[in-house]
Amino acid sequence: MPAVILQLRKVTVDKRTYSEVNKDILRLMTKTGPGYYAALGIVASLAGILFFLPWAYQIYRGQGVTGLNVPVLWGVYLVNFVFWVGIAHAGTLISAMLFITKTPWRRAIARGAETMTLFALILVALYIFIHMGRPWNAYWTMPYPNQRELWLNFMSPIMFDVFAIGTYTTSSAVFLYFGMIPDLASLQHQTTGWRKKLYSTLSLGWRGTDAQWTVHGRATMFFSSFIMPLVVSVHSIVSWDFALSLVPGYSQTVFAPYFVTGALLSGLAGVMLMFTIMRWAYPFLTKYVTDYHYDRVGALILALSLVWSYFTCMEVFTGLYANTSLELEHLKFKILTLPYFKLYFLMIFCNSILPLSLIFKKLRVSRPFMLFLCIFVLIGMWLERYLIVPNALSRKFLPFMWHDYTPSWVEVSITLGALMFFVSLFMVSIKLFPVISLFEVKEDIGIPMKHEHRKDGA
Amino acid sequence: MGKGIIGLYEHADDTIKAAEKLKDAGYRATIFSPVPLVHEIERSRMGERPNYIKWFVLIGCLGGLSFGFLFTLITSAMYVLPRGGRPIFSMTPTLLLSYETTILFGVLWTMFGFLVIARLPVFFKKSYDPGVKVDSFGVLVEDLQTDKHKEIERIMHEFGPTEVRLIENEQP
Repeated sequence: MPAVILQLRKVTVDKRTYSEVNKDILRLMTKTGPGYYAALGIVASLAGILFFLPWAYQIYRGQGVTGLNVPVLWGVYLVNFVFWVGIAHAGTLISAMLFITKTPWRRAIARGAETMTLFALILVALYIFIHMGRPWNAYWTMPYPNQRELWLNFMSPIMFDVFAIGTYTTSSAVFLYFGMIPDLASLQHQTTGWRKKLYSTLSLGWRGTDAQWTVHGRATMFFSSFIMPLVVSVHSIVSWDFALSLVPGYSQTVFAPYFVTGALLSGLAGVMLMFTIMRWAYPFLTKYVTDYHYDRVGALILALSLVWSYFTCMEVFTGLYANTSLELEHLKFKILTLPYFKLYFLMIFCNSILPLSLIFKKLRVSRPFMLFLCIFVLIGMWLERYLIVPNALSRKFLPFMWHDYTPSWVEVSITLGALMFFVSLFMVSIKLFPVISLFEVKEDIGIPMKHEHRKDGA
Repeated sequence: MGKGIIGLYEHADDTIKAAEKLKDAGYRATIFSPVPLVHEIERSRMGERPNYIKWFVLIGCLGGLSFGFLFTLITSAMYVLPRGGRPIFSMTPTLLLSYETTILFGVLWTMFGFLVIARLPVFFKKSYDPGVKVDSFGVLVEDLQTDKHKEIERIMHEFGPTEVRLIENEQP
């Protein structure tokens, strides 16, 4: 049995332990200091200035304000799109995959990861509209008959994408809400005013009877079994946006598993970064997100980074073995030409070399190191997408089509602003909803028994 | 709903034993807990509960699968896109799309099945104690005649409850 769980079990579990969990989470949600408001104010205004204003400017002036031009029509916006889909994978990995494999340490961090998933998917949806030249015509993508006979072409991977991401967003939202029902019911008696009203309504009258818990458990099993294959299919389909084309550098059969691995890697790094910052802001969370979580997630990041490194090598070798001038030209541009040479090796350092240090347990449980590592992994994963998306288009087929792409200030600003928007959404949500699952943490602490003891299992 | 007697306990095993004894005495006891006690209850004499939700999931999946197939195939039939001799009804996108819709409908029907079987949302008042959602375990016997009160309270008291009381309807 894992060390920390054992340690937790030694604590005599009684009434007080359980009510303390509720008290702690309520404290996180209701006790808001000036520091929080100041941080939220800064982040939200940055989101307004860096994200919404440039986007409005772009809609007003047209796509010409970006660095996009023939033939590089997929730039930083789609890099961000793929990156945020990747971040969205963490919630599912932690809640669904680790649920099915009955990993006990998932419980404390699953809810936070699921919340991240939902907000990341909101950004994904926004980036599609940002990338659209005429976002006011977005309804043209809707599948309904009209007099222009604009029917959907299901042969297009972009169309697969709409369905995959639509399904993923719906499922994550349903799963997140479903898991929250018992917690909202638990909090409704300890709050007053609008919170009480909100939680009473949203908890739908959950009483916690054995019949309800049984069906809750079974439904969780079904949700997990649905969402696990879904998450693999979503990022595979996102990778086919590229891989099903004929562009050298895009058309790689290895892309689907490569993207999925990368997504899980960046997602885990995102979750750990978020929890590290939250633990720093609310020190009492140390009770729930312990060193043991850092240890396990660190090990998982190490494993994923090794798989990712393998796929990165394979990607280069596939190009080399293809031995066509198109592939070689693209590889030369991506790996050996100057600005990209630096970016490529920065990516290798961030995602392959730096995570190797996680082999030492001391580093895995060191929070400053994990903070540093997670930031680097996220940068590395962003670079990976950057080196694939616009770069392959820059060296497309014949030299007369070659064109270098540099993102304009609008694109850079929207990229940073969207991150701020994500952070502000998350900051608001931790005050509205329990970011740590109450009943799962209680289960983790142990069930108070007078005579028998419970064997562990998810 | 009528009146009920609820016994609150600190320990899960006491709660289950009290419920078992009440069941043996012929009452319908409901166990409340702040955490899932599914395994413990299944192992006890209370027995396993029937698994109805799987039928909802099956309906959802089959519905989603057929929706995906029909949606893609009918679209290609109504708006024919000739692509250099390639099949009008292509298998790859049809399978992909129906894979996604199978999951989508499956998830939605799982949620629907959960709400139906857990009898949520509740629009009328049901009896329980708020403590069972935070830190106590409870056993409730509902819909009883007044002459049975003594016996139920006696059984509940055998397992060291923190509180046994008669409850009226409370807001869910």
